[in-house]
Amino acid sequence: MKKFLATICAAGLLMTGCGSEQTTSTDGKTFTYGTVAYGVAMENTGTNPHESYSGWSTLRYGIGETLFKFNEHMELEPWLAESFEQVDDFTVRIKINDAATFSNGKKVDGAAVKACLDALIANHDRAPRDLKIAAIDADGQFVTIKSAEKVPALLNYLSDPYGCIVDVAAGVRDGIVVGTGAYKAVKVTDTQIDLVPNENYWGSVKPKLDKIIVKSITDGDTLTMAMQNGELDAVQGLPYASLKLFGDGYKISQADTSRVYQIAFNFKTPALQDANVRRAISMAVDKENFCKVLLDGNGTPAVGAFPANLTFGGDKVHAAPYDLDGAKKLLVDAGWADSDGDGFVDKDGKNLELNYLTYTSRQELPLLAEAAQANLKLIGVKLNVNATDNYKAFLKSGDYDLFSKAIVTAPTGDPEYYFTSHIVPGAVDNAGNYDSEQIAALENELHNTFGATERSALAIKMSQQILDDCALIYASHLRMSFVMKPNVEGFKAHPSDYYEITPELDLR
Amino acid sequence: MKKYFLTRLIQLVPILFGITFLTFGMMQFAGDDAVDIIYERAGSVAEEIKAAKRAELGLDQPFVVQYGRWLGGVLTGDTGRSFISGKPVFETFAEKLPATIELMAVSLALTILIATPLGILSAVNQNRPLDWLIRALSFVGNSLPNFFVGLLLIYFLALKLNLLPIIGQSVVMPALTLTIAMGAKYTRQIRAVVLEELDKPYVVGARARGVDEVTILIKSVLRSSLIMIITLLALSMGSLLGGTAIVETIFMWDGVGKMAVDAILMRDYPLIQAYVVWMAIIYVVMNLAADLLYHWLDPRVRYGETS
Repeated sequence: MKKFLATICAAGLLMTGCGSEQTTSTDGKTFTYGTVAYGVAMENTGTNPHESYSGWSTLRYGIGETLFKFNEHMELEPWLAESFEQVDDFTVRIKINDAATFSNGKKVDGAAVKACLDALIANHDRAPRDLKIAAIDADGQFVTIKSAEKVPALLNYLSDPYGCIVDVAAGVRDGIVVGTGAYKAVKVTDTQIDLVPNENYWGSVKPKLDKIIVKSITDGDTLTMAMQNGELDAVQGLPYASLKLFGDGYKISQADTSRVYQIAFNFKTPALQDANVRRAISMAVDKENFCKVLLDGNGTPAVGAFPANLTFGGDKVHAAPYDLDGAKKLLVDAGWADSDGDGFVDKDGKNLELNYLTYTSRQELPLLAEAAQANLKLIGVKLNVNATDNYKAFLKSGDYDLFSKAIVTAPTGDPEYYFTSHIVPGAVDNAGNYDSEQIAALENELHNTFGATERSALAIKMSQQILDDCALIYASHLRMSFVMKPNVEGFKAHPSDYYEITPELDLR
Repeated sequence: MKKYFLTRLIQLVPILFGITFLTFGMMQFAGDDAVDIIYERAGSVAEEIKAAKRAELGLDQPFVVQYGRWLGGVLTGDTGRSFISGKPVFETFAEKLPATIELMAVSLALTILIATPLGILSAVNQNRPLDWLIRALSFVGNSLPNFFVGLLLIYFLALKLNLLPIIGQSVVMPALTLTIAMGAKYTRQIRAVVLEELDKPYVVGARARGVDEVTILIKSVLRSSLIMIITLLALSMGSLLGGTAIVETIFMWDGVGKMAVDAILMRDYPLIQAYVVWMAIIYVVMNLAADLLYHWLDPRVRYGETS
């Protein structure tokens, strides 16, 4: 028996010794970062920005940089680019920062940028549709881009992670590219990226860490316990319920993102063609308590499609307030009253009963469905919730009265994408079949307007029109959280969700 | 023996054909396909663009044509490329397999090392406190789902006792997780078969001849019990080589189980098909190997039968 136990212990120790990997280093500063946002299911494994969503990894983990970057208000600022000139509605001339270099020491000039953008257009599936580039010319530190049609948000699109500038001539080896960021990848697998400082980094702030390990951990409990155990220095994507565990002794950085949880009214449903009914339903959804209780404070109540940190978001628009009595009165005005005493309002002998379609892959959506169901019961509206990941079949068949989804409304800081994809008549994702002439006219104007201020003003007008028409309910904006040890400096959540590892990152 | 071996290999052909056809067919019932998934994160994408991508991947073809093309490729040694990563399927599979084999080997070794002595101890101490204790522990081990055992191990071994790392690439915790469930099952089975053997006339005869108990147990009883143990091992190896998606996900063990689940979520048909073929082959091969071992251990057993 003793021999047997000894054998088991020896085997265990042997395996521990053979297999374990130290995640902290004694001869330098090693930052170990656990994230749920890297992996095969995210389509972002690797660091080649010209493949699928890998550019997110290039940009997030400080390997690559784009020509322009977003500030905390999602406004563009120069990055690899020093300045730009809008030559005409179809042409923009960009000056590349003279100091910029790739991690292999090669200078970033117009020719290198042109080569990278040419490769992007040739290889990426989304970029050509966004950028609509007709020609690129390089001249010293300048690059001139001609568009096939007006693209007022061209610079925003160039700031998408796929726009990371990499040294195309250096190629891609084992998923590793040569970028311009503060760190360079030395090992890339489907579950991990190892980074070391870029000794040729051109920025004024130099990288401070000796090694960074980005570790994909998709199980929320494992991620939580690895952080509690001290094996990780910082984490992204903790389950809401786990965030409470990291109070004293940890730092938390949060940012409101433009991911919104919205509910679209189906205008083909006869009862919902009455604006009073839509307004009553909008007024009955208790966004404050949804964010506070069900999202545990990990969301902020939304007014319109865009969050407050955008110049065209937050309280720049106004929606129908939460008011149960007002909602009940509107239903009465619309002819809906509880005549049979069953607790639900009815008209012509039929209860106001609606089918609510949503999906479960985002944990917040079923919660919103339950909250809406409970809220609407208070005004006598019956919601039948259909939360299914096979929701596309229902969308195709039109078998729903309300459709709730999560959508990033301004991924590149510009509002037009959201309107053209979800709001304008006939848009691919206009699930509510909302058809507004005013919106169509304003979108046409937006599409031909250059300049952030002018575009912002138009976006506010369009957002307000949607709310005035009660076409959609915007419940909440997602608040993103990073949890870190107290000695971590310079690790901040950004509303774009693009920038995580920066030269400022340090361990004190 | 050769004839038997060949017959079993030939049986593999209709099995492979049947299950790959069935899997391919079942995937068509999903409400969406790889193109929907690929563009889901891109936000709104026009149907024309999706249609073009479907044409590029051949997903616009009738089901039978798609299957025929895949089958033709496999028969000529081309398993295709992943719809999502674009990497060759064979290469992706080969990358993940060593981790799965390592986890399987360690889990099985630990299971045998733990379950065999416990099963025997339980049997020879039948209805005594040690037997009750072992049976109670194996009952608990059998009842706990793998994901829960994994989280308990992380909590106690890593978080509370600080004995093992959670995120290091150590095989110990994932292997222990699998061992607890398998070991519990094996312990009960070994106990039952040892008890059965202990009642047999050859054991009574050996005892009457004065052969000591340890020799009887190891040289006679254990050898006779091996056929049952091998049957269990063959089944366990089959399921372990198919990967253990939940354990692999909890411990971020980059094996074929996690790959298969990711492939299913992403509707990555070429990868799913490769996985299905792999599963069919390992089950047939494991059963075949078990049959060969039965005969080697007990020549009275004819190929294709157990004693």
